[in-house]
Amino acid sequence: MEKLEKSLREIAEKLLSEKKVDLIIGYERGTRPLRTTPCFVNKTEDVQKLIWDSSCDNNLAKYVVDRKEKVGVVAKGCDARLIAVCIAENQVPKENVIIIGVPCLGVVDRKKVESKLEEKEILEATIEGEKIKVKGEEFELLLAKNDFLCDSCLTCKHRNPPIQDVLVGEEVPELTEVNEFTEVENLEAMAAEERWNHFNGELSKCIRCYACRSVCPLCYCKTCFVDQSIPTWFGKTNDLSDTMIYHIVRALHVAGRCVDCGACSRVCPVNINLRELMKKIEKIVKERYNFKAGLSLEEAPPLGDFKSEDPQEFIK
Amino acid sequence: MKWKVIEKSKLPNLIGELAREYEIFAPVDRKSIGSFERLASGSEVSLDSRNTKKPPKDVFIPQTETLFTYKTGKQEVELAAPQVVIGQRVVLAVRPCDAKSFVLLDKFLSSGEYKDAYYKEKRKNTTIVGLACNHPLSTCFCTSLGGSPHGKEGLDVLLQDINDKYLIEPITERGEKLIEKFPWLKEAERADIDKAKKLSDDAEAAVKSKVSIDGVDNKLDGMFDDPIWEQICQKCLNCGICTFFCPTCCCFDVLDEDGKRIRIWDSCQFSCFTLHGSGHNPRPSGKERMRQRIMHKFNYFVKTHGESFCVGCGRCIQECPVNLDIREVVGAISALPTDKRSDND
Amino acid sequence: MTNPYIPNLTVIRKITTENEAKDIKTFELTFKDSEAMKNFKYRCGQFAEISVFGAGECPIGIASSPMDKDAIQFTVKRVGVVTTALHNSEEGTVMGVRGPYGNGFPMERLEGRNVVIVGGGFAFTTLRSLANFILHKANREKFKDLTVIYGARNPGELIYKYDLEAWKKRDDINLNVTIDSAVPGWKGLVGFVPAVLKDVAPSSDNAIAVVCGPPIMYKFTMPVISELGFSPENVLLSFEMRMKCGIGKCGRCNIGEKFVCKDGPVFTYKEFQRMPKEY
Repeated sequence: MEKLEKSLREIAEKLLSEKKVDLIIGYERGTRPLRTTPCFVNKTEDVQKLIWDSSCDNNLAKYVVDRKEKVGVVAKGCDARLIAVCIAENQVPKENVIIIGVPCLGVVDRKKVESKLEEKEILEATIEGEKIKVKGEEFELLLAKNDFLCDSCLTCKHRNPPIQDVLVGEEVPELTEVNEFTEVENLEAMAAEERWNHFNGELSKCIRCYACRSVCPLCYCKTCFVDQSIPTWFGKTNDLSDTMIYHIVRALHVAGRCVDCGACSRVCPVNINLRELMKKIEKIVKERYNFKAGLSLEEAPPLGDFKSEDPQEFIK
Repeated sequence: MKWKVIEKSKLPNLIGELAREYEIFAPVDRKSIGSFERLASGSEVSLDSRNTKKPPKDVFIPQTETLFTYKTGKQEVELAAPQVVIGQRVVLAVRPCDAKSFVLLDKFLSSGEYKDAYYKEKRKNTTIVGLACNHPLSTCFCTSLGGSPHGKEGLDVLLQDINDKYLIEPITERGEKLIEKFPWLKEAERADIDKAKKLSDDAEAAVKSKVSIDGVDNKLDGMFDDPIWEQICQKCLNCGICTFFCPTCCCFDVLDEDGKRIRIWDSCQFSCFTLHGSGHNPRPSGKERMRQRIMHKFNYFVKTHGESFCVGCGRCIQECPVNLDIREVVGAISALPTDKRSDND
Repeated sequence: MTNPYIPNLTVIRKITTENEAKDIKTFELTFKDSEAMKNFKYRCGQFAEISVFGAGECPIGIASSPMDKDAIQFTVKRVGVVTTALHNSEEGTVMGVRGPYGNGFPMERLEGRNVVIVGGGFAFTTLRSLANFILHKANREKFKDLTVIYGARNPGELIYKYDLEAWKKRDDINLNVTIDSAVPGWKGLVGFVPAVLKDVAPSSDNAIAVVCGPPIMYKFTMPVISELGFSPENVLLSFEMRMKCGIGKCGRCNIGEKFVCKDGPVFTYKEFQRMPKEY
């Protein structure tokens, strides 16, 4: 890790000093255990703040949209793919961004660690290779990191950024064998009523804080459909019928664009597993259009594009 | 009135008796999100856990609240205001930080020329039973805001967990009346009170997180145009987490839905919060919205109501998706040189 | 306890389309309950929350004069959900009204003084209320000279043409109506409000200026006002902000620690100068 960090800082310093970018967006140590925070560096002396480890969970692609200056962005596979989608959708001029790709073996899901510890508070944590060392009042534990990775990382097929301008360190092996749609298949196997109850249970927790929207790099609409008032598309309460429309429409809006970075699930303060909904749509898009988002800087997402060979059996 | 004690095993009996006369709200682990919910039976209460993830403000300010209903006919409208006055309520196991939030909300919502009828009536009919914190978290900074893990402000009764029992201290007359309803409660012994005192001192010392609030309000006076807001807001996503999870944030939107005039929680961090019908927005970007939140809590509210609009519960620190830590923000402001103050006053 | 969120029921008695674009209309409302009408005591410069049941509520300045005892008027531009619903309403429709809210103009400070009213565009509504109040025969003696400078983009956008006509016939008001740029058939003044104000050059001696307009107008008008010698405490401004509750609780219309709904909407220029620049 230290080697990677050193290499990352050297790259950042070089990009800044050669004026290839005005700003580096990366991670720095946060104020809480297992917590990093987005870091904005525009002076070479500040590159020492930059860090890299498995707690770098924020999706920095969010900060690339709507910027005037040239930026270098530290990007995991998922982040890089989202930047690619934004470039393909003309939201970010390619020449304004340098993707500093970081091969990633998965990021730690703090919620999983916290639930393992139940009521005990983590006061200190360090990630050492394959282990997470957590310390608190009167306890110290060594946890296997792989047991506490985010769900989206467990089935990630692009641990190496498929698109990048400069790579930090060396490529890591990909998870070629893993089935990324197991969760979706489990949902599909449910009886309709059971599935309905499942989603009702999840979405009834929603408090409409819109963190899922705010964190998503693809939610760049100037005025979100939620905020439109003429017409008002649906209610603004936390009633289930309203929250369900919000999440379904948002899921449809990122259809064929979402790369399953898992940020929406990670930030949800009431622990709604939003990935399930997104993943199902991802599967449909893959089956129908043989398309996976974020692997090209040019190809438009299939639902925003038309090709004569698109399936159109619905036209009778 | 003398202090009482109750064995922990007897608490369900007390709650059961209370439930005959009161609506009880208490911390419940609903779908693994700690929140204050109306109790169906005493057994669900989770008193041994940390403070709830959601603050108890929704007991008084539900996320969605009907202000009145109406029926519209041909050139005719019939209004029906809901019964604002509700039955007697007890909120159980409110932590001292959250109890203080009620005091602050009272100052804002129940004072001035116009009083928020819905909030005020609920408050009037509610007895607050607190539960002292023996184990503050690393994100707690109540002591910096004049609170304390065993603080009594805003409470009618305080429960202190002294291992196998709770020490019960009535604080207000309302609290005394509540305790009188349970003549079977045992009187506290000297040792119980001593033990609680020790736990209180220990808990106070265990609040390690300190934020230097003193003078921050004055300093903020001259900082409206300071470049610091650009820096602070850089990573902010402008979601509503910090405000929705804040025990004092109470901004709301008013709208009509299905024959009802309702109000719903709103957040100063949302882009359309101040968007005027003309298209003009006085707070067009994250910078202005972040500034509003900090200014409101640590400057405007101090001017209008005499103290900060923050109780140091640490929820915004725990929940922020990008680790924007309010302690750091206040710390950075407090560390700025005082000559930053503008001289326009 | 009184519940400030419950509106009084009123009926639209009359609708007047004010401009050529037909997106500004004046609604004359009467209270269903005559007691409520009597209790609705307002001063110039205050506003009320208007309910269109099914669409919602919005704050609107009161355009009638407190001397009009049997009805209240609101001039509304069609911009959002509620105002569109209001524009689609017919005479006889039942509306809700809560208020009056806000501080209004400090009439006791205006009495015995020359009053200079400066307004731009659609924000002229509460100024019209003020002018009509001053011009009322029961009040006119209490005030000295009245100067009105009012501008709109073009003649079609001038509102209250019937009042302007009536005022023009009087000799106790110095009326200056201007449009932004010349159009055929317009015989009046041409030019932006600040420029016309400069030409008219009302004296600041024993005078108070009352200014209402879009934020941009304040920016260009204030330097002229200062040049004319008005001291900041003798200039009154009225603000518009997004509001919901109208009573200082919903938390969005503040400029610094002042709520525009409750502490305003009228502030002196002196107060405004001390406020954070967030308008």
